[in-house]
Amino acid sequence: MNPFPLVLADMRRGRAGVAAVVAVIAVAVALGVAVTAQERALRRGSARAADAFDLVIGARGSPTQLILSAVYLQPTMLELVPGSELLRLDAESGVAWAAPLIFGDSWKGRPIVGSTASFVSAGGTRGLAAGRIFLRDHEAVVGAAVPLAIGETIQPSHGLGSTGAGGGDSHQGALFHVVGRLPRQGNPWDGAIIAPVEALWAMHARSTGHTGDESRIGPPWDGRHIGEVSAIVVKPKSVADAYRLRARYRTAGTTALFPAEVLLELYATLGDARDLLALVTLATQVLVVAAVLLAVLSSLAQRRRQIGVLRALGAPRAYLFAAVWAHVTALIGAGALLGLLLGYAGSWALSAAFHARTGIALPVSLSWPEAGLATALVGAGAMLAMIPAWRSCRLPVATALKA
Amino acid sequence: MGLDLEASDIRLSYPAAGGPPVRVLDLARLRVRPSEAAGITGPSGSGKTSLLYILTGIERPCSGAVRWGGVDLTGLRQGRLDRWRQRNVGFVFQDFHLFPGLSPMANVLLPATFGHFIVPSWMRSRAAELLDRLGVPDRSAPTALLSRGEMQRVALARALLLTPQVVVADEPTASLDADNAEAVGELLVSSCRAIDSTLIVVSHDAALLSRLDSVHRLQQGSLTLRFAETAAR
Repeated sequence: MNPFPLVLADMRRGRAGVAAVVAVIAVAVALGVAVTAQERALRRGSARAADAFDLVIGARGSPTQLILSAVYLQPTMLELVPGSELLRLDAESGVAWAAPLIFGDSWKGRPIVGSTASFVSAGGTRGLAAGRIFLRDHEAVVGAAVPLAIGETIQPSHGLGSTGAGGGDSHQGALFHVVGRLPRQGNPWDGAIIAPVEALWAMHARSTGHTGDESRIGPPWDGRHIGEVSAIVVKPKSVADAYRLRARYRTAGTTALFPAEVLLELYATLGDARDLLALVTLATQVLVVAAVLLAVLSSLAQRRRQIGVLRALGAPRAYLFAAVWAHVTALIGAGALLGLLLGYAGSWALSAAFHARTGIALPVSLSWPEAGLATALVGAGAMLAMIPAWRSCRLPVATALKA
Repeated sequence: MGLDLEASDIRLSYPAAGGPPVRVLDLARLRVRPSEAAGITGPSGSGKTSLLYILTGIERPCSGAVRWGGVDLTGLRQGRLDRWRQRNVGFVFQDFHLFPGLSPMANVLLPATFGHFIVPSWMRSRAAELLDRLGVPDRSAPTALLSRGEMQRVALARALLLTPQVVVADEPTASLDADNAEAVGELLVSSCRAIDSTLIVVSHDAALLSRLDSVHRLQQGSLTLRFAETAAR
């Protein structure tokens, strides 16, 4: 028994209808796939971007705002932290390194962040893609996506410069020479320019933390002449140190938090949204499959004659069952497969757009939930396809022939 | 050798809304000898097609027996009946009932796919040979573009593919022009003789009926007359 020649001939004849049905199923599946794949990519991408930030200390305020600024470089107004906190941290045991972050300046819309060599090299664990780390106060290291070559000179502006937010007065006289380039990290820091914190303190007429030797950059700083910072990134030596430090810096004036923890709360919200969207897309798929089955059942009425002819020619009931079942299941299967690809492509496009806007690279992948979704749809379709298949093979032949 | 038919006491009636059942057939006896070419004729609505369906097991009579080579179709379960029809019966319809999505060759081979996943090559050559002999030159042209005469030739080849012991034809020439009706009628009868099949034709076509060994006239569900041995064999 081989119903496929007949099934293929039927599909060829009804090409337009087959294409429409497959497309509708594919779009329904693609929506579901995109929602789950995109949510996962968003979670992974944002978590990966926060990897380098074990503990962030900032002024008392919204944790989300602190994370958005310090990790994702989103322009928000942060209260400042006194520089003396840096000195306190340097004196702590259990701190591998601690680096200040100063936001608020930019070059052509790209943030210029003041920090230290420890931050650039992640405590000596990360090399540069090209050039070297800044050694003097008017040198800078750029992220992989910054369109500056080593050796070029830039003039910083206050605020976000060309993007308009926060004014855009240039800092007259202050210049930075690009001396190094960071490897690509797939996070917003790819678009950032990192300069010595002393240079930014100086630009804003703050003390540079150094009294005697003014040209030296980086810690140690003296306690009496040190400017404020936007946030402090801390690399604890151990998990125990991390929790101890976090507790210690949750004071009246400062807050300390694990970005990963804040993200978890965000993910919970994200997960709720995903669940809701997934439910909606699931309902869409159920509706689409139901519509397909209704269409098949009504087309069966028009095909009674054909069924009768097949039976008169000697086709056993199993042949008709197999033909109708294979037809419907093939449509749903093809739609689901196409939907997976379409959902993957759509997710990929969304991620590319998101990366372009935020600098956060979202790793898109197809995983078990999507495969499970598609398989479940095909499984349900295959089960439901038995209804028209059963009906067609129960049709009395004489009645069908006289139809 | 074709099968012989012995049908007796065939009764068929349909329930009618708000009245007594409508009697379609009430037939005491119909015999067809092995390899005989028999015709059934009669006015429209006399139950010819219903009789043909009952004789091939497509429709079950309310009572009576249909014995082909001693096997009573009315006693077979549906699965056995389907297998019996698949093995023994070739069907030709008035309106050909080809599958336009399949090539002429694939149409002829369709009954072979009921029993095989891969059609044996000897069946393919037989199909090609049948189409050649019946006068369908282009085996892969779109079936929908064939002339009506060619379509009925393809349908005839399909009926003959599995060398059935019984061939039944329901008004096989009624949808054809005179020349094609003549040719197809001749091909039908001679092909069945060639493979020694029993042939039962329902027809109004006097030329076709004149080629047959016997003709039965059906009037209001009953056989009224049997012309003996109309044509010399």
